[in-house]
Amino acid sequence: MKLSHFFRILRTIILFFICFTFKTYAVENIDERVKNLTLELRCMTCQNQSIYDSDAEFSNDIKKIVKLKFQEGKSEHDIKKFLVERYGEYILFRPLMNYNNIFLWVFPFILLIIGLFFIIIKTKGKKA
Amino acid sequence: MNRIIILIPLIILLTICIFSLIYLLSDKDPNKPPSALLNKNVPVFESSSLYNDKEIIKTINIKNKKTLINFFASWCSPCKIEHPLFFEIREKYPDLYLLGFNHKDLASAAKKYLKDDGNPYDFVGVDSDGLIALEFGVFGLPESYLINEDGKIIYKFMGPITKDVLKNEIEPLL
Repeated sequence: MKLSHFFRILRTIILFFICFTFKTYAVENIDERVKNLTLELRCMTCQNQSIYDSDAEFSNDIKKIVKLKFQEGKSEHDIKKFLVERYGEYILFRPLMNYNNIFLWVFPFILLIIGLFFIIIKTKGKKA
Repeated sequence: MNRIIILIPLIILLTICIFSLIYLLSDKDPNKPPSALLNKNVPVFESSSLYNDKEIIKTINIKNKKTLINFFASWCSPCKIEHPLFFEIREKYPDLYLLGFNHKDLASAAKKYLKDDGNPYDFVGVDSDGLIALEFGVFGLPESYLINEDGKIIYKFMGPITKDVLKNEIEPLL
């Protein structure tokens, strides 16, 4: 066998190996993304279970559509938006940061400020 | 005076907590998750007829028609409970377009079901992969949607429609 033939075969093998590795990585990456996203989604037909943990028909459908959307190149945000438009924000374990939920996000800080105000007044009162 | 000043933050906090609690508990039934599609346009769909592959129904075909969409399957026991009511609806409201979506079912089983129990629908579309149901935000079968002439979803009901539901919730909208 000529040396050039050997290198050609070697090059083909390396290219095949690289392609295979990338494909496997891409599949694993999508599966990982599906897992991460479905862990954040509520199974609407179960009791306190995430879509990922549930084997209900509803959850399996959502897992399928999430995977399909990732394969289509949609982002996590796009998929969440798609699901929220159809099932409401109830499907998300973590509420969205938007105008409707602003009170939910801001309330702990209000509580903190009120608490601090209360402590300061109390301490000042004791010192006096 | 100092005491009153100290109590002000507590009063404010208590008021906020009471209002939050009232808001959180009002109109929130865990058995009836809110429907995100209410008062929104009917999702875009396309489905072939259960009886003829070449016959297609699209969103545009239900435009300007008051439509009752029902997701059903032959394997769904609660669907059998509500099934006779669709004949009553059909008789009482002949102008209402009844669109059935056969969800994740075998065509042969669905045809047998509709032959045995009767077919009240104007059109039976096939949703074999469940993608149309996903577009409508279906949780489980049966589920029904009332669409007005403007193509907006004005009512959604999860579970089998009963006579009471028909009389008190659906009929006022027809």
